[in-house]
Amino acid sequence: MVIEKVLMAVGAPLIAFAIGLSFIMLKRKVVPRIQRRYGPPVIQPIYDVLKLLLKEENISHGIIFSLGPIIAVAGSILAVFFIPMGGWNMLSGSADLIALLYIMAIGSLGMALGAGDSANPNASIGISRALTLMFGYDLPLVIIVISVALYYNTTSLPDIIAAQAHGNWTAWALPLAAIVGFIVVYGALGEHPFDIITAPHEVATGPMVEYGGKHLGLLMINHAFHIYLEIALFVDLFLGGGSNLLEFYVKMFVVFFIMIFFDSVFPRFRIDDAVRFYWKWPAIIALVNLVIVLVR
Amino acid sequence: MNNISVDTLIKVIVLTPFVGGLLAFIGGKIHRWIRFLIAIVFSFASVFETFMLYNVSIGNIHWGSLFGSELVFQTNPITWLFLFIVTGMSALIVLFSIGDMEEDKMKLDSYYMHLLFVEGAMAGIVLAGDLITFFIFWEIMSWTSYFLVIYGGKKSLDAGYKYIIMSVIGAYAMFIAMALLYGKAHSLVYADVANVLATSSPSFTIWVVVLLAIGLFVKAAVMPLHTWLPDAHSEAPSPVSPLLSGVLIKMGAYGLFIVLYAFLTVNLAGKIMPKVFSTPVLLYIIQWLAGLSIVLATFLAIMQEDAKRLLAYSSISQIGYVVLGIATATSLGVAGGLFHALNHAIFKGLLFLAVGSVIYRTGTRNLSELGGLVKKMPFTFVALLVGIIALAGVPPMSGFVSKWMIYEALLQKKEVFLLIMAFVGSTGAFLYVYRLVHSIFLGQLPQKYENVKDVPIIMQIPMWVLAILTMVFGVMPGIAMDVIVKGIEFFGFKPIAYTLYGFPAGTAMGSLKVINIVSVLMIAFIASWIFFLLFSKTRKVSQYDNYAAGQVVTPELKYNYSFGFYMSFGRVIKPIFKWSIERVYNYWVDACKIFGDYYMRRVYTGNLGTYNSYILIVVTIAAAAILLGGKLW
Repeated sequence: MVIEKVLMAVGAPLIAFAIGLSFIMLKRKVVPRIQRRYGPPVIQPIYDVLKLLLKEENISHGIIFSLGPIIAVAGSILAVFFIPMGGWNMLSGSADLIALLYIMAIGSLGMALGAGDSANPNASIGISRALTLMFGYDLPLVIIVISVALYYNTTSLPDIIAAQAHGNWTAWALPLAAIVGFIVVYGALGEHPFDIITAPHEVATGPMVEYGGKHLGLLMINHAFHIYLEIALFVDLFLGGGSNLLEFYVKMFVVFFIMIFFDSVFPRFRIDDAVRFYWKWPAIIALVNLVIVLVR
Repeated sequence: MNNISVDTLIKVIVLTPFVGGLLAFIGGKIHRWIRFLIAIVFSFASVFETFMLYNVSIGNIHWGSLFGSELVFQTNPITWLFLFIVTGMSALIVLFSIGDMEEDKMKLDSYYMHLLFVEGAMAGIVLAGDLITFFIFWEIMSWTSYFLVIYGGKKSLDAGYKYIIMSVIGAYAMFIAMALLYGKAHSLVYADVANVLATSSPSFTIWVVVLLAIGLFVKAAVMPLHTWLPDAHSEAPSPVSPLLSGVLIKMGAYGLFIVLYAFLTVNLAGKIMPKVFSTPVLLYIIQWLAGLSIVLATFLAIMQEDAKRLLAYSSISQIGYVVLGIATATSLGVAGGLFHALNHAIFKGLLFLAVGSVIYRTGTRNLSELGGLVKKMPFTFVALLVGIIALAGVPPMSGFVSKWMIYEALLQKKEVFLLIMAFVGSTGAFLYVYRLVHSIFLGQLPQKYENVKDVPIIMQIPMWVLAILTMVFGVMPGIAMDVIVKGIEFFGFKPIAYTLYGFPAGTAMGSLKVINIVSVLMIAFIASWIFFLLFSKTRKVSQYDNYAAGQVVTPELKYNYSFGFYMSFGRVIKPIFKWSIERVYNYWVDACKIFGDYYMRRVYTGNLGTYNSYILIVVTIAAAAILLGGKLW
């Protein structure tokens, strides 16, 4: 029993990382094919991370600068334990959906601190954009979280997943919420047209501008976690989670695969237009959905 | 503890700060260290006395006579909670003042006197057992805090003027309510007031509650009565701002709690007015005012360029959570609101002290002039970091737990629109707290601050204490719940289930166990740190060794993004700023001026002859009156 728990504690973050990494690999392969290119080898992301981690020269602008990527990874690992993964509920009993929204913010805010310490205006502008975008997609996000919580009359994620058993997914019951949830998760992942934060042509990769070597390696690891967390939350909330890891992975795979196609065709929003977009159509659709749940 | 000693203890608690203030004033004439010593001893004595009062509930202690009426005191767990905020924060602020307020810049004898008087007045407010006592101390608090505000220099005179005018208007509203009540009951003891309200007509009850609420909302700075706060809190001296923002506005929240749940009880409110979302409509309106405060003040805070103004607007937003929680009228919501009052006092005090430390060392609070101070003032950075994490409502600091309780309470009642507002205010807080920490401590360090040091130890101690309290209440909310749950039980709410580390399932719609979040975060942090250290060492580079698209960054070049940090977001919310309640008030003031100019000039002509003729007319009438034997009509 104890051994099982220890295995789970070590295994869950590793599995989450592996899933996130597999999605990055997938994207590096599918996007070129859509653009009629060949693309790099499948395991290129692993090469990238290893190359960065093993660099001999690592520069730092101070303690907070170095702590940024560490807190980001720590915050992501923390969040992994509170989102049910396949059949595993792990610690999701000790923090409900509302607490989870704030737990998921820990990593990004720590990262923001580190980027700010790099004394580079490109990084500061990147963080300013990141937080503004976060404020943007948070409004529709909280509305759909509220409607899902009211629909199942609980904020406990395991209970919400249990209520969706036998194919009674939230996506069928509340299709509008699922659509908005998809748009929100899509924006939270910073895919086109929401890649305002890193925008290489405008702010030179934004928060990451001064990071290199093992710092950047950690940030790439964190990116894999980030993809896992956002999509896992979407799958748990709207697609009924998964009774085992394979089912869970397949659902996540489908969601991410659709996202790649959107990502390949869009240009980039201006930051205030992105916020206006989120506060307009997704928010209105989410509110309509909320009213439906209330009068139901 | 028997009744007689509780009796004396309460009187001692109210008197200690007043006596201390007078002694500090006199002692300061002899030597400044005597004044410091007296201020410290008396303020910490109050804290000690507060702890002696722990877990005592008693009503109606009569004391002396003042113009033919008695002062009446009482105490219960809610009183104790607010008394703890008052005395604890005051003692820490006295400590901070000793480091921060410099002798040569201004006369400080009356500063400490006013500081301790404000403390005594606030202790009197929370211990008051009838409305007269409440009102007397309320007015002492208004006036002495006005004198504290205007210590901040020239600009603070205007701010203080605005503050006291609005306070007086609020006090008038309360006074009218008291007069109405006294006309019916001839006693203003809390229990009698409740009886009168229960037996009177609904319209009378609602009028009294609304009038009292106006007076309280001015102090609590609930929109649209908040306009004094950003000016007064930012222009006041650094140690006074935490007292105003942390403690003084909580008096409004305390008063609201008393008015809603000791006078107008939930039962009565449910009987005399219709219900919306299972909330009596008056409480629902109060909730909406609080909700609007949360959202609009958050938007305003995001756009500020001045560190203290930013914090002042965030105070309006956070007091919105307190009022929103208190007005939910459910056990969980009220407990959450009261807990947030405690947490906000602690973390907002911490933030204002940290910003005060920065002002003390750099002499500016303009965010775009600062930057990079983390390397020079590491301790202040940590203090501010703890404060902003709590303010943003992110675990594992205290603000998270109390906000979580308020969210859950609103969700239970299905008050979705207010819940959305509360969430938006919290995410908006991410924006302005990051702005604060980034512009002060991160980014490029300007050359002029190369030699800045951390603040002296006497100014650090208060920040240490507050930072530790923020963490303790964040990880172990059960400590505060011990008092709060007893308090809400005292006022007739059902107690809520809680554990030391959170809330079990059934209390809210989900469960919470903060210790699990904290311990996993710690383990994950250590693990990733070890992973980080496995690879080759880092080399420290200067801030001028930086990517600038091929340009060379030199110390003369300002290479920092800190002015107009959220300019693009400002474009989104521009339409909201077209309206301003302040402009409405100014319009009203102008109208009064025009009226005054036009009509009053007919009377007050400024001509000596006219005034002489007025005197003659009055003397003639008076003489006629006397001649007619006092019978003019």
